[in-house]
Amino acid sequence: MKRWLNSFVHSQNLSLGIIVVVGVALLGVSSGGGFFDPISVTTFFTFLAVPILIGLAQMITLSVGQLNLAVGAIGGFASCFAGVIVADLGVPAWLGAIAAVLVGALAGLANGLLVVITRINGFIVTLATMTILLGLQYGLVGTRTISNSEWPSLAELGKASLLGIPVIFWIAVAVAIVLSFCFGHTVTGRRLLASGGNPVAAQLAGVSNDRSVVVAHAASGLLCGIAAFVTMASLSGVNQSVGGDWLLSSFAAPIIGGVSLTGGSVAVLGTVLAATIVRLVDSARAEFQLAPSWVNFVVGAVVLGTVALGRVREVRAARAATTPPPGGTSAGEPTEPAPLGGARILATARPGGADA
Amino acid sequence: MSTPFALEARGLSKSFPGVKALDQVNLALAAGEVHALMGENGAGKSTLIKILTGVHRPDEGSLLLAGEPVSIGSPMEAMEAGIGVVHQERNVIRRFSVGENIVMSRMPRKGLRVDWAAVRSEARRCLAQLDLDLDPETPMDRLSAAQIQLVEIARGLYTETSVLLLDEPTASITSNEADRLFRVVDRLRDQGKAVVFVSHKLEEVFAHCDAVTVLRDGRSVMEAQRLADHTRDEIVDVMVGRSLAALQVPDRVIDLTAAPVLELDGVSTSLGHRGVSLEVRPGEILGLYGLVGAGRTELARAMLGLGRITQGELRVRGKAATIRSVRQALENHRIGYVTENRKEEGVFLEQSVTRNIAVTVWSTLARAFGFVSGKGEQALAGQYVTELDIRIAGQYQNVGQLSGGNQQKVSLAKWLAAKTEILIIDEPTVGIDVRTKRSFYDLIWRLADEGLAILLISSDLAEMVTLADRVAVMDRFTVTGTVDNTHDYDAMSQSIIRLIHTGTAAVAAPGRSKENA
Repeated sequence: MKRWLNSFVHSQNLSLGIIVVVGVALLGVSSGGGFFDPISVTTFFTFLAVPILIGLAQMITLSVGQLNLAVGAIGGFASCFAGVIVADLGVPAWLGAIAAVLVGALAGLANGLLVVITRINGFIVTLATMTILLGLQYGLVGTRTISNSEWPSLAELGKASLLGIPVIFWIAVAVAIVLSFCFGHTVTGRRLLASGGNPVAAQLAGVSNDRSVVVAHAASGLLCGIAAFVTMASLSGVNQSVGGDWLLSSFAAPIIGGVSLTGGSVAVLGTVLAATIVRLVDSARAEFQLAPSWVNFVVGAVVLGTVALGRVREVRAARAATTPPPGGTSAGEPTEPAPLGGARILATARPGGADA
Repeated sequence: MSTPFALEARGLSKSFPGVKALDQVNLALAAGEVHALMGENGAGKSTLIKILTGVHRPDEGSLLLAGEPVSIGSPMEAMEAGIGVVHQERNVIRRFSVGENIVMSRMPRKGLRVDWAAVRSEARRCLAQLDLDLDPETPMDRLSAAQIQLVEIARGLYTETSVLLLDEPTASITSNEADRLFRVVDRLRDQGKAVVFVSHKLEEVFAHCDAVTVLRDGRSVMEAQRLADHTRDEIVDVMVGRSLAALQVPDRVIDLTAAPVLELDGVSTSLGHRGVSLEVRPGEILGLYGLVGAGRTELARAMLGLGRITQGELRVRGKAATIRSVRQALENHRIGYVTENRKEEGVFLEQSVTRNIAVTVWSTLARAFGFVSGKGEQALAGQYVTELDIRIAGQYQNVGQLSGGNQQKVSLAKWLAAKTEILIIDEPTVGIDVRTKRSFYDLIWRLADEGLAILLISSDLAEMVTLADRVAVMDRFTVTGTVDNTHDYDAMSQSIIRLIHTGTAAVAAPGRSKENA
């Protein structure tokens, strides 16, 4: 049974992996090999870092059964804040980068505290903070673009490569590995999953659900801050539009990657692979010179399809779990109907680290 | 007494909106003693357990641990004070492994990391105490209901406790598995621990417990008595209360020649029922009795289209019916369902009494463009408020502010408003005080007299014996037999318990017993 489960977990990542490979091959052929030249490869990975980071940021809030609509707003505000203090106040670039990360973490912390203290739905809280931060971002930079020439050392980092792959992509990979470890092997990570999986059981076992929500939002904000820093390093400058298109892709990656919307599960590798798929769609769009709205159309359709497929699977699993047992001994006792979401096991981070 | 009690509760009171759950309750647990905590559903046992384990805080009263006053503000503090618990509800995290569920209250760790090797060995140690051969790595959602309950028990054994509270630990496990639990309980007693045992099964209580405290309607009506000094009947009398035992049952005449309005014929469902047959006539109250987890509520849900009927036939007024939704059940077949989860499923707590009653009939009240007249709603609600004697300040009052009994009446009123002819009532008096219970019984009888066919689900045996005309007994998702109610508690409880046991014996070869003795 366990082997079956393992192979199932892997097959989810496997099918995502296959899609990545096929997509890369198709793009490579249709571009006449141009997709594989070093500049294209560098571009591809450079602009994959942010989708991975914001996908993981969303995944963390989903793990406790929350969501974070302010992903893009936090990232955009943090990058503009750092840009302004470096360009206008003469703060050293490295300190600006740290500021971006910290601002992200603080904004996330504020989200978490607001949710816990006011008991208002996280949807509304993050919708409100999103709007507030968008306003602040515009207030900070207005219509100007702060050029990355203000932080040459960060721009250098953005161009640097390790083993032929941009350093900032490695940063995203490192974050993913750390997260995978946290959710699989640390007490804090397991507590987040416990709160998301069954808040009542978690509470009775002495886990503070409030703390889990705060920790998850703060960590989510922290990752948005890292994404802001990566943006400063990789884009030619920051302005009020940074973060504007992050929201959909932040949900797309974890959902396609197999994270349950009801909480209690994470899928780090799945999220990374799904972010890669979304990035491939974007590359294809550039390759065939389609309108950017095509990407939104495709990603939106895929997200909807994935969620619908997930529901079908849940219902099937629930039915399978409740088929009448053959009359027999104690093992033949009826199992109770699986609660919604309970049957979804593919995305569960399990001890032993099937992920990443 | 020279040695202090291991745990003592003095004068605990606790109120929830609309109901006083505990009223000056005392509980004194001696070390090296297995203490039975008994009482009917809604008597306050689980509330008491939840106070002792820090889930709820008492409004009044004090707790003493080994003679010292303590305050227990959270489950964590209870654990640190050495109070372990196996809760009644199965509160497990289905996405986690068995091992992780067992040790969750105190994860073995190396620094920030989880020590998975220790998780496995600790879990194995707890499982071994129950002679349970289960791999700690097994995902929780692979387990049967009984196995989950055993894991819950193993979890209670994980931390070092001086007091262990077991809230209906044997409700859904076999007697074989229960025996393993009792071996552990005996061992804990020998080690000088205090064990609280909550159970409805009198045999278990008399076989394994030393002392008993009985709760009735939130009061401790028998406190820390030696169990050996009492007979089963005495305990049952104290539990049920003389007031209720002596309840006058009206003379009811049922036309046994009338054709049944609701019939199940060999019905199996996607929820796990096998070959269920029963029938209800107009004006008749058919009781559906069974222990927790016997599949009664699930059967009701299947009849309402919330589960699929895979075999057999459901007949309404003699005609085979396929019901796919509650709306269909109501509009095409006039079947209503008063849920057991009043607060979650029965009423809209944040809405007015009027709205709550009118919700089922909006489509009839609605005029052009779906406009619902406020006056129509009020007139209708007013009628049922008077008829059911619902105590409210005004129709605009939110149902959340009413007492449990009145909420239940509102929940019932909306089905009456919809002119149902078949009413399924699920655990109508859980958490309702004894006086309201009485008026509710009168109401149910009156509804039956007016010709409604009533299927009454209850795990309260006294209530069954009082209310029902016939009792169908369910065990493990099938009906094991039906008895005509003589309203003689002793005789009825014996024949009903016999049917539950027959069912257990007959599970190996489930034959579709033709009922109606």
